[in-house]
Amino acid sequence: MLLRIDPTSAEPLFAQLAAQVRGAVLRGEVRPGTRLPAARELAASLDVNLHTVLRAYQDLRDEGLIELRRGRGAVVAERGAADLAPVHDAVAALVAAARGLGLAHGTTLGLVKDALTSEETR
Amino acid sequence: MTPDPTTTTTTAGGPARPPVPHRLASTLLGLLPALALLGGATLLVASWWDELPDPIATHWGPGGADGFGDAATNLTLLVLVFAAIAVGMWLVAVLGGRDALHRRIAVGTAAGSGAFGAVLVAGVADAQRGLADAAQAGDIDGAVLLATGAGLALGAVAAWAVPGDARQPAADSPVGGARLPLGSHERAAWSGRATGPAVLATGVGGALLTGGLAIGLGMPGLLLVTLAMSLLVATSGLLTATVDPRGLVVRSALGWPRFGVPLDEVVAAREVEVRPVPDFGGWGYRVGRGGRSGFVVRRGPAIEVERTGGRVLVVTVDDAATGAALLATLAERARPGARL
Repeated sequence: MLLRIDPTSAEPLFAQLAAQVRGAVLRGEVRPGTRLPAARELAASLDVNLHTVLRAYQDLRDEGLIELRRGRGAVVAERGAADLAPVHDAVAALVAAARGLGLAHGTTLGLVKDALTSEETR
Repeated sequence: MTPDPTTTTTTAGGPARPPVPHRLASTLLGLLPALALLGGATLLVASWWDELPDPIATHWGPGGADGFGDAATNLTLLVLVFAAIAVGMWLVAVLGGRDALHRRIAVGTAAGSGAFGAVLVAGVADAQRGLADAAQAGDIDGAVLLATGAGLALGAVAAWAVPGDARQPAADSPVGGARLPLGSHERAAWSGRATGPAVLATGVGGALLTGGLAIGLGMPGLLLVTLAMSLLVATSGLLTATVDPRGLVVRSALGWPRFGVPLDEVVAAREVEVRPVPDFGGWGYRVGRGGRSGFVVRRGPAIEVERTGGRVLVVTVDDAATGAALLATLAERARPGARL
């Protein structure tokens, strides 16, 4: 799989990596059981700190998208491929609605974040 | 390993390709030991000539020797067959061996087949020394096993001893092949794998079968074959390829062999479709049509890297299009005159 980072971006490097793997898993581009590049290899390839890659992998594990196993490395989890079609549809609808009203990206994301946190605190 | 020597020569009218390096080493490591061993075996068998039956046993079945033929003709033919393989492989190395993998395969096969043939001929003759009738010849399983071991061992040593490639950075020439959109600040890495169903089925099946037979029939010698089969699977049934600023690196599941192409030696990188048998004569580490070296574990997409020195490396791997495009993109970026 192709992974890229942009060191000039404001987004932290670990978040950039995690977002790409997350996207690929959620879009079904990588199947459950697929092995991600070894953290050490990937860190050397992208010339970043090993802990940057490990942080990205740990976040993905906490989300249940990958499993980290000693000796086997990072493997895309079975659960990661759960049917997310309703969420994808809802996101597409949200994006369309926000675009229709000319909302800034930050505003849209803020609304989503608010909705998620209010749900958590309820 | 049966590359076709006729396709590895320089094609007339094509772009001028640099001369093949390390011809002397290929001769000393491949042709010389093969011919010396076959010659030695011939002299040894000749010294036994008066003790050998004629006709001699030429074929063995489960019940012992079951095929017979003229002694001189059959032993000479056996020697000549292996000499021909050794000479053919030596030609492959000195006419087309522009990259180290290519030379290692050809030189290893030349030396290995010479050792195998020499031990086999001596073993076949030895099994019949002092017999009046070749039908009484004992079995030659031990000789075949010894010949296989000698062939693999000498082949491996010769292949290992082959000199590697000198670094040949490309001039500031354009890189061929499709590109990947990559921002000037972005860093990218790609990794892909491939598994070979044919190699895995043959190797795992063979290892289990010979392992079972070795234990079931009490033939510990067969465990050598089991070991060889397991090594075959681990070294040529699965591969991992990565493309990053260090270039293309390919390694087997075992981590060895490991080889690749640094960015500054990439002339072009493309995705191609590989058909193992027509293009490379089979699976594994191969020399194929047009003098291409290949690590072929399955049919389907592969990265083809044209590199400096007239060398071409083909690696079967999933998602080869992305890998090839990133390799071309990074190679272009690494050119001395590249605009970032």
